[in-house]
Formats: sequence, C-alpha cells, structure tokens
Amino acid sequence: MSEPFDHIETDRQTMEVDIACAGFGPATGGFLTTLTEAWNRNPADPAFESRVTPGMPLQVVCYERADDLAAGVSGVVTRAQGIRASFPALDPAQIPMAAAVKQERIFYLLDPIGASKRSALLRFGDFLLGLGRGRWVKDDAFELPWAPAFLHKHGGLILSIGQFNQWVASQLMASGFVQIWPGMPAAAPIFSGVASAQHRGVTGLRLADQGVDKLGAPADGFMAGMDVHAQLTVVGDGPVGAIGQQLDRHFGLPHGHAHREWALGMKFVIELPEDTPLEAGTVWHTFGFPEPEIFGFLYVHPERLASVGIFVPSWLGNPQRTVYRYLQHYIQHPALWRYLKDGTLRSWGAKSLEESGKHGEPFLTGDGFARIGEGSGSTNMLTGSGVDEAWTTGVELGEAVLDLLRAGLPFSQENLAETYEKRRRASWVEQGALQAQNARNGFHKGFVRGLIGMGLAGLTSGRFSLGAQIPPAPRQIRSTQPGSQADLDLRKATVLALENGRPLHDALMSARGWPEIAYDGRLLVTHQDALLMGGKVQAMPGYADHVVFLDRRHCISCREKTCIAMCSGQAITLGPDSEPVFEREKCVHCGACLWNCPHSPDGERGNIEFHAGSGGLHSGEN
Amino acid sequence: MSNSLHIVVCAGIVPDPLQTLEPLATPTGPGLKNEMVLPAVLDPWAASALYEAAALAAKNPGSKLWLVALGPKAKLQQVMMTVAQKVAFELVPVDGPIGGFPDAHATAAALSSAIESIAGLDHTKLLLFGGWESASRGAGVTLQLIGERLGIVDQFFGVDEISLREDGSFEVLERVEGGKHQVSKCAGTPAVLGWATGNLAEPRNNPQVGMANMRTIMPALQKAQTAKLDANSLSYVSVNLPRQQRETRVEKNMTPDEIAAELVDWLGKDF
Amino acid sequence: MESIFVLTHADESGVALTRASLEAVTAGMELAARLSATLKIGIVAADPQPLSKGLPGAVLAVAGPAFAQPRFASDAAACEALCRAAEASIVLAPGSSRFARVMAAVAHRVGGVIDTHITALGGEAAVEATRWFYRQRIEAVVTRTARPWFLLLDAGTHMACAGEGANATVEIVPVNLPSLRTEVTGIRAPRQDEQTIRPDAKLLFVAGAGWTKKQPDGQMHTDEAGKLIHGFLRLSGASLGSSKSLVDQGGEGHSVLPFLTHLNQIGQTGSTPRHPKGLSTCCHGEEPHVVGWRFIGERRAISLDPNCGWTRGKADVVYIADAFQVMAKVNERLAKS
Repeated sequence: MSEPFDHIETDRQTMEVDIACAGFGPATGGFLTTLTEAWNRNPADPAFESRVTPGMPLQVVCYERADDLAAGVSGVVTRAQGIRASFPALDPAQIPMAAAVKQERIFYLLDPIGASKRSALLRFGDFLLGLGRGRWVKDDAFELPWAPAFLHKHGGLILSIGQFNQWVASQLMASGFVQIWPGMPAAAPIFSGVASAQHRGVTGLRLADQGVDKLGAPADGFMAGMDVHAQLTVVGDGPVGAIGQQLDRHFGLPHGHAHREWALGMKFVIELPEDTPLEAGTVWHTFGFPEPEIFGFLYVHPERLASVGIFVPSWLGNPQRTVYRYLQHYIQHPALWRYLKDGTLRSWGAKSLEESGKHGEPFLTGDGFARIGEGSGSTNMLTGSGVDEAWTTGVELGEAVLDLLRAGLPFSQENLAETYEKRRRASWVEQGALQAQNARNGFHKGFVRGLIGMGLAGLTSGRFSLGAQIPPAPRQIRSTQPGSQADLDLRKATVLALENGRPLHDALMSARGWPEIAYDGRLLVTHQDALLMGGKVQAMPGYADHVVFLDRRHCISCREKTCIAMCSGQAITLGPDSEPVFEREKCVHCGACLWNCPHSPDGERGNIEFHAGSGGLHSGEN
Repeated sequence: MSNSLHIVVCAGIVPDPLQTLEPLATPTGPGLKNEMVLPAVLDPWAASALYEAAALAAKNPGSKLWLVALGPKAKLQQVMMTVAQKVAFELVPVDGPIGGFPDAHATAAALSSAIESIAGLDHTKLLLFGGWESASRGAGVTLQLIGERLGIVDQFFGVDEISLREDGSFEVLERVEGGKHQVSKCAGTPAVLGWATGNLAEPRNNPQVGMANMRTIMPALQKAQTAKLDANSLSYVSVNLPRQQRETRVEKNMTPDEIAAELVDWLGKDF
Repeated sequence: MESIFVLTHADESGVALTRASLEAVTAGMELAARLSATLKIGIVAADPQPLSKGLPGAVLAVAGPAFAQPRFASDAAACEALCRAAEASIVLAPGSSRFARVMAAVAHRVGGVIDTHITALGGEAAVEATRWFYRQRIEAVVTRTARPWFLLLDAGTHMACAGEGANATVEIVPVNLPSLRTEVTGIRAPRQDEQTIRPDAKLLFVAGAGWTKKQPDGQMHTDEAGKLIHGFLRLSGASLGSSKSLVDQGGEGHSVLPFLTHLNQIGQTGSTPRHPKGLSTCCHGEEPHVVGWRFIGERRAISLDPNCGWTRGKADVVYIADAFQVMAKVNERLAKS
C-alpha cells in the first residue's frame, strides 16, 4: 500500500541510524527507558557503540506523528506492574494527573430514558432490578456487591497517558542518549528482500512527504520524506499506525489471526466541582448504558480532574455509532450526573482500541524489525488493560536488544525471536493474553451471552470460554435495508439535519428517541465546541490526506455512512454528492474510520485506508 | 564575507494558542492553571523572527544564528524537539520562570546577560531579532530593553521585511498605524528587529536539521544557567479572566433580505 | 506626591498632534486632577510651537528636522531629554508605533520602569493600571512603586483633549543626538481604494475562511466573495479584518481574496482593534480569533452554523444564513441609500 509514497523519488534524503522507532507511546517508552537505563549505568559499555557511526554512541531515534509528545489521547487505570518494575521508586506525585488507585466499584446502569436497544431478556432483568429502586438500585444504578478479581487494579495507577508519555520522554531526552521527534509521521517501512512465510525483513522507515497536496503530489515547498535506514526498526505505532498496518499487509498475519475486534474509546476530562466528594484514586467501571454493549468508566485524577468515557465496540451492530452523542448521554446518567453536573469540560479525546488481543497478534519479529505494544496484540481484553502490557513488551524488547548488543549479534529474525519473542512468550503479558483470548466471544451473539462468556473466561482464568466465529469488522455492521426502521430513522434524521443544519448522525440519535442535549456551554457542548474547547485539533499544512476512500462507488451507494457517524472529530462529513468528505485539519487520528466502513473490497478490510498523517489533538491533559 | 551576520533571536515559549487559559495565584505571583501541563509552542511572532533569521543567515554565507530562550528547562526541551526540526541554530537556554507575568525589565536583564556570554559573538555584526510582542506578556518592551542594554541605537518594531544590500546597509519595513508600512534605511549592523509576521511560511520539519541541532541543544540545556527574576516593584492588584458572556439573539428564520434590512438599519445609525 | 508628564508627538503632516497623543493628554489631566499632581506636556516634533496650542500645563518640546522622522535613535534621545527635563514620577504616552518603538529604552535610560497597552488608569491612593495578558485573554491590574513609571496607553481608551487650555509657552529642550544611521524614506501604503484597514471606522467587518470554501453548488466562489466584500467596504467605509485561517490560505496555493494580508488578521496572532461595532461573516468564532474582538462594542455575525462560537455568548446577534446572499442584499440597500 505504499503506492502513494513510492512514485516520488526526487531528492530523497537518507540517514543511517542504529535503531529507529515508529511511534512514541507506552510501548516505545518502555523500550527506550530500558535502553537508556542501561546506558546511564555504564555509558562506556562497548555494547553502546554505534554500528553505523563508529566512534559514536548508539544512534537511537524515534518518530512520533503527534505535534507534541504530551498529545496523547487516553486516561487510563493500570495495574502498573511493568511500569513500576521499570521505575521502582515511582512516586505518582512526580507525574501530573497521576494517582494511586484507592477505590474500585462496578455499576450496572439501567436506562432511565428508554431509548437504548435492549433485548427482551435484558428488559426483564432490568424490570426485576428496578423493583429495588431506593434499596439496591440508587440513581438507576446497581452496584455489584463484589468486583471479580480479574478486573481489579489494586496497587495500580490512574494516569493521563499524555502526561505519562511526556514525563517518560523528558527523562529519556535529558540523558541525551535517544532522540524523540514529534510532528514527524513515519509513512512506510522500507522492506528488504522478498517476503515469505519464513523470511521477513525491514531495513528502516520512510518519513512522510511534506509540501504535498491532498493526494500526495508535490506542491509548494515539497520535501520528500527521508529514508531512515536502521539496523533495527522498532514498530510501536499502535493499532492504526501506518507502519504496523503495512507490515501486516506485506507479511500477512500468522495463521488464524486477524484484526477483527475493535472499540472506540472516547472520554472527557472534567474538572469536578469544588465540593466533590470523589477522591483522587477513585475508579468506577460501568456497563448497561447508554447501550448495553457500551462499557464506561470514571477515573479521578488529583486536583479534582476526572476522566469519564465510554467504549463503543465493533460488535455494536448499529451502523449509526455516534460516540460523542452517546458520551453526552452517558455522563448525564443519574449515577454519574450527581457528581458531574456542576463540572466543567476541560479536554476531550478519542482513540481506537485493538480488541482482538492475542487473535490480532502479528508476526512479532523479522530481520531488522520487531513489533511492540498494542499493535502487536498485547492488550488484555479480559482485564481491559493495555498500557502496562504495552510498556512491558517494550521492556522485553529493550532487554533483548541489550542482550544482542552485548553479544555483538545482529538484529536478525532468528536472534530477535530467540531473545525478544522468547521473553514475551514467557511473560505475564502472554499468560494474560492467552487467558483473555476468547473472553469476549459471546458478545457477538448478544449482550447477556457476552457477559456470561466474559465471566466464564474470567473466573476460570481462560480455561473455559464460549466459542465464536468473529466476522470481519465491516460485516459486524448491520446493513440498512430500504424501508427498514433504520432506514426510516435515517430519513427522519436527514430532514432534521437539513432543517437545523445539524450533523446527520446527531440528528439520527434524536430520530431514534434520544432526548436533545441541553447545551450549557460548560460541560454539555456541541461536538464542534468540544473540538475547540477540549480537543484542540490542528494539522500542519503540506501533508497529504491520511484518510483515503478506496473505491468511491461504494461510498456513493453506501446507505449506512458509518464512517461519518463514527468520526470522532467530525472530520468526515457528508459531501454534496452523498460522498464522505475528509477534512485533515479536524482529524484527531482516532482511526475509527479504518474499521467503521461496512463495504469491503476484499472481504476483510473496509473501503477506507488510514495512512500516516500529521497533526491531531493538541491537549496535554488526555 | 562582508555580510556575514551574527543573528541572535530571542524567543520565549507560550501556551499553544488553542489552549484554554485560566489565571491562578501562586506563591511567586500570578500564573496559569496547569501551566506546566499545557502544551507549549515557540512564541508565534518570535518564531517568525527565527525563520526570517534562518533565511537571512542562509543568504549570507558565514553567518551564525543563536536562539536565546528563557523558560523552565524541561519545557524548553519539549518545545525544542519541534523547533529544532525547522531551522539550524545554536541554543542559548536560560532556565527560568514560564509565562507572561514576570517583570519585563528583569527578563531583559537575564536575556541580555545570556547574550553577552555567547562566545564568539561579534557585536558589530549583530542583528538582534525577536517578536515585536509576545503572546504571553504582550508588552513589546523586552527586546527593546535588551537592545538598549547592549547599546544598540537602531531599533525597528513590527517588522515584516528586511532587505540587505551588498554594502551591509538594509531597508526595513515596519508596521505603523492604518495598515501601512514605514520604510527605513539603516547603515548596517548592529540593529534590533522586533518582527511581526514577516513573509515566510513555517519551514517544514526536517529530521536532519533536528539531528544536527540536537548535538548542541541537549548539552546546552544541561548547562543552562538559572535566572531569578526581580519583580522591579511590579505587583498585581488583580488578575481576572473576563466573563464577557453576551445575551445572544440567534435568528434562524429570517430571509437574506430581512437580515440585510436589519443590518443596514443597525449600520445606518453610524453611516 | 506624583508629578505627571505626558509625552506627545506630531502626526505624519507635522502640523498637528496625533489623536492618540491628545487622548494621552486627557488621561494626564484626569490623573493629575485625581492625584492633585502637577502636569507637564512634552512634544516631539520638528516644529512644536504650533502644536502646543491649547494644551494644559507647562509644555516642553524638542525641535528640529531630526524629529520629523519616527526613528529610534532620534526619538529615544528626544524623549530621554524631555523626561530628564520634566523630572516627573509618572510618564504617560500614547502607545503609537512611534512611541512603542522607543519608550522602553527611554524608561531604561532614566532609570525607570514601563508598562504598555494600558487600557485604564485607576486606583485610590496609588496609581493602578489595567492591561491584558496572553493576547487579551486575561485582564490584570498592576501597580509599581518604582519611579519614574512609564505607561503607554492604548488608543481609544480616553477622549481626545479638545485643546481648550490657555496657550502655554513652549520650553525647547536641547537634545544630544547620536549619529543617525537610519533614515525613514517613506510610507508604503496600499492604494487608497485598496486600503482596507481603517482604524477610525465605526465598523469592523471580519471575513472568515467560509468565503473561500465550497458553496452549496459544490464550487468555490472566491471572485464573487471578493467583489461582495470589496463592495461592502467601499459602501460602508468599514475596516476589514480576517480570521487567521483565511489569511493563511494565501500560502497554501489556494486562491484567496487578493486584498487580504496578515495585516488584516484579527485575534491571537493578529491585532485587537477598537471599533464601536463588528460584523463577522463566514467565521466560526473560535476563541483564538474572538480574543481579537475584545475591544469591539456591538457584535453581530452571519454564519451557516447554528452552533458556531458566536451563538454562545460571543455576539449580540447571530443570523443563521448564507453570507453571500445577505451581503449581496446589504450592498444593494447601501447602494440605494
């Protein structure tokens, strides 16, 4: 898929380094921290002499797409097992917005509005629960008397990934050993040799062209992206990263593996009112509302900041997956609204989560490359945990690289498999991934079945689980039949949208019976406003569009327009010819469009490609 | 080279313009809420000065370019990771407070002593660049005070263009009232130029420029001198976020002609 | 006890003081009356005598052809000499481009301190000055005990002095001029009919990026937008402002309105003009832009987006309509009247 970049061959600069990393997140943070710690202990160690620039220390560079290393998009709760191992003396007070977990609660939320789509079985269950209003049900929420062990994050941390990344990066940079460059998207891997099932090879990274038009053709101030040749290319660019995607396509995935399960996490950072009773370290997990399939969370950071958000999964069959509007309804659920209503929206963000876990694991190593982090299938779908796992895979690669450097061995597929892959297979990350691999199987056949499946896998440490045939992401989206209720809703919404100039998907939620949002300009604001107030989206001029619609004919005939409904930044809108139109400047790089197209040219992937792009959210509080 | 220049660009760091700002009282005076958490950028007008300086240095072989920046070391390091990819320069960092509330006289004193300590700086070749105002204090006095401390008596503010001649003299366009430019000719360096927008687009990020810059930037940051800024008797009576919320009348159903009639009537009171 | 000195300068013609100078005189008179302080006026001009007519208090001035030009070396020397002669504790001056260029240096030379962009002077016993930080986002009131304290006043914050004082004698203060290496050779201004920035206009008309976006027919209508805007400016005498996104388009190979430059840009990285009224068109009303409207009185906006920033307390009236259609009708009506 590197066609858009390959046709430009003029004046391309090249550079030789020892190690080039794509993407700076927790995984690359763990990798670079491990290397840097070792270097700090003994900079004179001959292992750290550069192979490409003899006499110099190892040349280690990392390229990150976001304009700022703090521009992360997630507030998380993590057990921090791996992170604490890297920083034994870690004091959460050193990291802005970090807090130790103090209290964990799980709530099942009833639907006080009556607009969510619930099965008859669930409605009956809700009815029974509802009999206990005022006793075991308060504020339309039922608190589970105990939280299953697999969900516990005792001893863990609540983090802002943006602030955590920045904290890690500043320590790394201060050593002078590694260089981390924000605002520099890596566009494509440089492959070596002919790929086969046995042999995979990468010799570096090609950075994105600058000074190009929307289609990538040279324009004013054209500067061809540099080829960075590296002894080792570390791919940690996440589940929708350009490098990881191209490796998957070029080498294929191991037999039986596929990226089919996804979720979009979207959250608000809310400043709680001054008299809030919620303490820093509070963690709530919720399920049942705004749709039964949508899980939610509330994490309380220090200084009265809370991350509140939801996950909308690919197995929510509804093609109109309007996450922003759902999130607005979520925070207004009485159980949350009681604490949030006098708060102020500070920031906002969204991110795609690769929820295939072990089933989405790619080939982890090849000649000259290794894969770490979420894009390498490390996320544990049972515990709903990914940051610590990602960090740990980075640490494992770091340790492996140190072994190879000290032994003077090349970064070959065999050596990396023998060191990195072996470490990974023996670690708690792998054990967790194996236990979790079938934990969510039931959800494709309904919410209640999903809960049963998850409980079964969780309580038996993965020994028992439900079987499932998970369809490719495009096929998980229900198609809209002419004359169906969904089609009628769509028409009604179109009228609403035309009358009021509203976004179509927002009008669609209203047409489906969800009450209008009473904007207060403070916490309940329009989607556009969230982009301005909290999201702060920006893109440098001179880059190509990174969202590409492959076959426009599919787009014109598409009835579902899920890419528009799902777009976190309203960067994809309905154009005059009924085609989706992409505005690069509004994209928050959540990657939802990648798995939210119901039309598949090859039966597996959607009709949208998500390339390397510049810009995104400018918020450090996420 | 007769026209080899020594260009010193003074540039602070400011919160990314898209951030929401809120004042906060701190033990050392007013500050911004979450100041260290807010993403920061190089002050926009000073950034214009840096790009103009780099272009000028490139056109005049043998020239040198320094970037003098005051701010908390950690924050400077972050911002430099982006700025260092744009143009080649040598960083002269001064570790000090962030933000627009410290006194400009003290800031100027710290920056001018940092400039005076630059080894190999030839004052006769000096062009002192910066933004004509910052996006934080926005007073437009710091650069002028530095120029005065360095004894430079040719100063220009609101500069949008400089044209250097072979004989070392140059023409400067300064913004004046009414959307006009004042044109001046100056015999040559040393001079102070406080830049407005200039005419150059932001340079592309170039990883090689970044790699080259970092060889000097990181050691410079590690050795950055700390500056304590004197308040010079400046004290704050109050610092507030204005709440200019208006009662907005939103008209959704008027025809263009009706709107035009109402607008002309509204304008008519004055025209 | 404070003593007040107001520095003024001649306008381009050389035969009158600038309006901003006369506003500073008013500020000086008000402050002197409030503090029961002495008041002196200073003039920087080639020929100051005729300019002193009607000014209150004692008048000090510099004279000579060197002071016809707004230039750092001569103006700084002139102001320094005047300040040394006046020996005042508070120095007020207009925040004009001419004085903004030199006054910090002058304060430094006489051992004083300076604050600029002052929008109000208050305080009971002490002098307190209001100014904005972070590009008009945060308003602060500052005070200093150090003297002399220079305060540069923003234009439009006081009434201009009508010059009704008794004719004062002008004391000419000698100036030690350094060698002058700079010569002002002229003013470069757009042709009269292309001049779109009019500081004295009653209305600020802001064009946003929507004017160059695709319209409902799927096409861009930049030429038509240019004609409508230009026509309106001609008929109304309004000053033209722009959002950053519109002026930035000039650099990205888009066709953009030919008469717009960065000088027109209003907002965070643009200007913050003062006009009694403002009309925004095709602009979303994002905060970084709207901070540039801080000193605009009545605000109206035309936008297609009912949820744009203007509707949320940033404007007095927002018309949800197509600015192309509305401005065509406005121009028709203005042409008739």
